[in-house]
Amino acid sequence: MHIPDGFIDGKTAATTVVLSALGVGLALRQVRRRLPPRRVPLLGLAAAFLFAAQMVNFPVAGGTSGHLVGGVLVAALLGPSAAIVVLTTVLIVQCFLFADGGVLALGANIFNMAILGAAGGYGIYRLVCAGLPGMRGRVAAIAFSAWCSTVLGSISCAGQLAWSGTVAWPAGFTAMATVHILIGIGEGLISALAFLAIQRMRPDLVNESSGPGQPGVWGEFARYGLLAALGVAVFVVPFACPWPDGLESVAAKLGFEHKATEPVLAAPASGYRVPGVHWAAGATAMAGAAGVVVVFVLALVLARSLVPEPEAHGRSNKP
Amino acid sequence: MIDHWVGHHHSRLESPMFRLPAALKLGAALVIIVGTVVARPWWVGWFVGAALLLAVTVVLSRIPPLFLLKRLAWLSPLVLSVALVNAVQPAARGSWVVVAVKSTICLLTVTVVANTTPFSKILRVLRRIRVPDLLITTIALMHRYLFVLAEEAERMRRARASRTFTRRRRARWQTLSTVVGQLFVRASERAERIYDAMCARGWK
Amino acid sequence: MNAAIQITNLSYRYHDGTEALRGVSFGIAPGECVGLLGPNGSGKSTLLLHLNGILPEKLDYNGAVQILGQPVTADNIETIRRQVGLVFQDPDDQLFCPTVEEDVAFGPQQSGLSEAETKARVERALAQVGLAEHGRRATHHLSHGEKRRACLAGVLACEPTVLVLDEPTSDLDPRGRREFKALLRQIAATKLIATHDLELVVELCSRAIILDRGSVVADGPVVELLNDEELMLAHGLERPHILRHRHPHGEHQ
Repeated sequence: MHIPDGFIDGKTAATTVVLSALGVGLALRQVRRRLPPRRVPLLGLAAAFLFAAQMVNFPVAGGTSGHLVGGVLVAALLGPSAAIVVLTTVLIVQCFLFADGGVLALGANIFNMAILGAAGGYGIYRLVCAGLPGMRGRVAAIAFSAWCSTVLGSISCAGQLAWSGTVAWPAGFTAMATVHILIGIGEGLISALAFLAIQRMRPDLVNESSGPGQPGVWGEFARYGLLAALGVAVFVVPFACPWPDGLESVAAKLGFEHKATEPVLAAPASGYRVPGVHWAAGATAMAGAAGVVVVFVLALVLARSLVPEPEAHGRSNKP
Repeated sequence: MIDHWVGHHHSRLESPMFRLPAALKLGAALVIIVGTVVARPWWVGWFVGAALLLAVTVVLSRIPPLFLLKRLAWLSPLVLSVALVNAVQPAARGSWVVVAVKSTICLLTVTVVANTTPFSKILRVLRRIRVPDLLITTIALMHRYLFVLAEEAERMRRARASRTFTRRRRARWQTLSTVVGQLFVRASERAERIYDAMCARGWK
Repeated sequence: MNAAIQITNLSYRYHDGTEALRGVSFGIAPGECVGLLGPNGSGKSTLLLHLNGILPEKLDYNGAVQILGQPVTADNIETIRRQVGLVFQDPDDQLFCPTVEEDVAFGPQQSGLSEAETKARVERALAQVGLAEHGRRATHHLSHGEKRRACLAGVLACEPTVLVLDEPTSDLDPRGRREFKALLRQIAATKLIATHDLELVVELCSRAIILDRGSVVADGPVVELLNDEELMLAHGLERPHILRHRHPHGEHQ
């Protein structure tokens, strides 16, 4: 999902750069304050780890293979702020060394994968952990939130492409979301398996995760959540929801072509435009919600199958 | 193994591009990229100028053309997807041709600069433009150890593959995930040793 | 005159409670070159990490370790680290900077030296280890032998009085080993070398200490100790071949 330069236009790039700079700046400040000096090299090594781990190919079907992206895994192990720093580092190095992802597009890539993906995914992880105790809860939480972060990141990416006029929203959203719903399953599966493997080899690394000052983590997360929400508000919401007429005309005057009245699924005939919008949008929303529930249940099933009974409740409850 | 697609041996090649100061190269690259991204499709002059400049730098950098083509090949599936999606539902403005041209120019720019500038010099420029120290240290450490960890990953994967007698996907996923997990544990332990080594020479 | 290193009844336990060191005691005079031998898991590396205050982690220094007459405490740890140069077992752990020059300069820079002085020290250190032309090279491009020499240079740039090395010649090919031994021979500091390379011990060291399961089981002149086949075999070592073909009072150090 690394967007190259040229796929997003100037205003989108500028907006994402500002949002990402804010998010990374916050993350750096947080890490400097909270991370014990002993763990500073771990940031760089975790970044190197992600890079190396992304080269491990998991066979899927035919000749294709998938690989871990690892944002939520790192967030679960090191905390959201450290994860943002780590992922930003990975993206910067990938951009320069491998031309994987553009330079100006770094703003968008960092926002999609580090802020929305890793930090946002971390929020979902903690929420699920709070509801499901024990190791099974954590495994289910990782699997589910890794899937969510993949899908969310792809939707945000589709929004950025649409705002740039590169790809129309309905088609872009459909394509990105469909593909990443599937990719996300792999991501969730690998994240959960790897997390469990780490827990078995070095339980201390997993139990002290989210860094020191656990009670403060929600405050920390709230700021990223705000940034993420802001980004989603700019890149996704205008496309997904029809705007009130007044706002539409203002937007048109400013040159923001949102085409919000276009249905998510191309309406069969223009005559059915207006009622078609609401029906199609509603149907998509319902399908989306159903999909999320299905994946959540799958995550629970996965956790059940991976974590044997005695471990499930025997481990520390602290997420 | 990983070296051949990092292209770092190219940055050791003596070439006129190599001798230019890093700040100049990075600055010029940024100008080209920003300019290309905001350029309207009808600014033919800009695109032609940028392409010519790139052609000159490519020749001066002595980077093997095949290497550049391989890098460009990464773009093609993305450009193709955009073309396909636009065929189904046309985009608001611009065509996939513009996207292809812009992304090609930008990618070539980055590739030429990255392969004619030692990474440590790039880091020095970043430090000068006041990128926070913690981020620079993290980037430096990642760059230093990504080859080490990538080789470790390869060795572990090979060792496991030698003892895997089943082609069943489930078993392989379990195995590979354990490799990933082990990789993190080793990275973590190495980070601790690096911290000790830093302290041993007076790091504060 | 103060001993360069004085260890008195040093004990240490890992997190899980296993004893790594039990009442270790020995002294090393300035200028001596001592070999630290022992099977894997005997506690050699753990012992070495105590010499510059990396261990114990909890800072409960109890005077068990004294360097140049000064006990290692939380207050004087910076001075101690300048006096004791520790070369780690895995050169990749120690060479953490992007280029050789930067890595060798790390120590002097942390000491607060001026740019000019740092540069001078870097040049001296690189010349000493035979890497004078390799300053600009990226650390991950070095061969294993070059990495080991670069690590040594990084430590020499701090101009320590005591040099402590953890398995300096492991993984080196025969030529690499020869070159490294020649380098060590030229360095004037007090040296404590933990190693499995028994030839190195015979060629460079005057004294050997054998550690097994955290305790010192033998401490004496190299040739005498290493010729004692029974002792060597009892502690997971063996009598080196180089001594089998030598007069027991032959030349050494």
